[in-house]
Amino acid sequence: MEREGFTPVPKNLQFRVGLLLGLTIMVAAVFVIYALYARGVFEATQRLTLVADNAEGVSLGMDLTFSGFPIGRVQRIALGEDGRARILIDIPRKDAKWLRNSSIFTLERGIVGGARIRAFTGNLQDSPLPDDAVREVLRGDTQEEIPRMVATLRSVLENVEQMTGSGGSLQASLANVRTLTERLGGRHGALGAVLGNEDDAKKVIAAIDRANALLASLGGVSRRIDNVVGKADQRILGEGGVVEGTQRAVNQANSILNELRESLKRVDKILADAQAVSGNAKAATTNLAALRAEVDASVRKVSGLIDEINRKWPFQRESEIRLP
Amino acid sequence: MSTPRATLAWFRAWGRAGRFAFAAAAAALSFSAYTARTRAVAMKQVYFGAWQILPGFTLFAALLSLVVIQITITLARGYGLAQFALELVFRAVVMELVPFLTALYVALRSGAAIVTEVALMQMSGELDELRASHIDPYEREFVPRIAASAISVFALTIVSSSVVMVIAYLVTYGASPWGFAEYTRTVARVFGPGALAGFMFKGFVFGVIVAVIPIAAGLDATRNEKSVPVAVMGGMVRLFVALALIELIALAVKYV
Repeated sequence: MEREGFTPVPKNLQFRVGLLLGLTIMVAAVFVIYALYARGVFEATQRLTLVADNAEGVSLGMDLTFSGFPIGRVQRIALGEDGRARILIDIPRKDAKWLRNSSIFTLERGIVGGARIRAFTGNLQDSPLPDDAVREVLRGDTQEEIPRMVATLRSVLENVEQMTGSGGSLQASLANVRTLTERLGGRHGALGAVLGNEDDAKKVIAAIDRANALLASLGGVSRRIDNVVGKADQRILGEGGVVEGTQRAVNQANSILNELRESLKRVDKILADAQAVSGNAKAATTNLAALRAEVDASVRKVSGLIDEINRKWPFQRESEIRLP
Repeated sequence: MSTPRATLAWFRAWGRAGRFAFAAAAAALSFSAYTARTRAVAMKQVYFGAWQILPGFTLFAALLSLVVIQITITLARGYGLAQFALELVFRAVVMELVPFLTALYVALRSGAAIVTEVALMQMSGELDELRASHIDPYEREFVPRIAASAISVFALTIVSSSVVMVIAYLVTYGASPWGFAEYTRTVARVFGPGALAGFMFKGFVFGVIVAVIPIAAGLDATRNEKSVPVAVMGGMVRLFVALALIELIALAVKYV
């Protein structure tokens, strides 16, 4: 080699080259092992099979995410016997706890980026997803949605065009609205607009006028009735009215009855005396005469009182209460 | 030289390179090629072709990739595509740019030296002397160089790629260890068994080509000393075209 003249070959050439080779092989081996570890070769996994109508956008090595964290990887995509796509996913055992029997799987395709497979677990207390489970995957595809959305939008726009076109229903409605607002602005305002023509509006106004007059006269009548009621009130409940007279009569009756009771007590006593001392006829006779006179007077008083009550009691048949 | 004749000569040069590659492969597979002498030649070649340039080249690859990775990740974040940035860095920088740059660097350095050396040997009649004394120049001179070149390119590629991967981690996540899980997932996505095998195979082919084409071009030289620069130039151009072609084919196989 010509170069040997310029750069001396070192003594430990063999060692250096060996070191380089060893380093290279070691780095390569470490990297290969790391890549295998990254791909989950050294990890115990369980298999989950998702069944989809369409596996478009799904690629090998794609992640299955749960709450945004990858917990599994697509290992294989195959077309099943029933013509549906089967997506085989390997889930490391340590991450399998996030998947339960009630978990739901979705396959979504956004406008930007590839498809995404996501898992949702509502109840983490549910029994764990068994190995080799087969689940349906719900599909949501933005790119599929767009044509459908555009079609819907187009029909909406057609409807709008139909409505707004000349002779369309919206035009007719607007014309009606204009007539209505014109009538609202007219002489009879909203009434004219509601009734449609002016004659009817006039009739309604006349009817309202008449009703107003009627109400005014009814007001006069009710005022008079008020007066009458006020006077009756005063007569019955006012000072010197029926109620007060009756009260007085009742008071008098009370005192008379008291007197009567006293008289009767005395009669009792006298009768006792009479019984006890029947012998003293003269004295007894004298007392009896006086007693009879007293009893008579009392009875008269009572009868007079009853008469008076009867006369004053306003609801008695022979009442003589006169209203003014 | 008219254009058709130049084109013909160009094709014939490629044909000679191809024939030489087959002959070298046959010699490499024969047991007699592995002697203490050839091993010494190979070791010297590895020493000059890889060991000497390892620190410088690794530093260069690190700086270049630092800038490229920084730009890629900043742009990806700007576009809201940060989750794809690391994958892009792995696919573009680690798997394509670094091996290609390594091969080009070794080609510029060792390839140029090899083609000149072989051309001078051809001119001075050294190879004819070897043949006259029944020593196969393939076994004695060529196969060790090819093997050494393959080892050199492979070693440089592996070491610089590893450094670039570490830099990619540091640029993306900083010194925090919490990016490791995501980093590992991205590695898993990019470096499947096929991709890894392809990556290593490409490195090996780059290394072989870096020696085969220059030697074949050196053999084009004649006793005339004017033929040496022509042989060197033709060899280097063909080497560059071959490297670019291999890179293109590798990309096409992977992504088309």
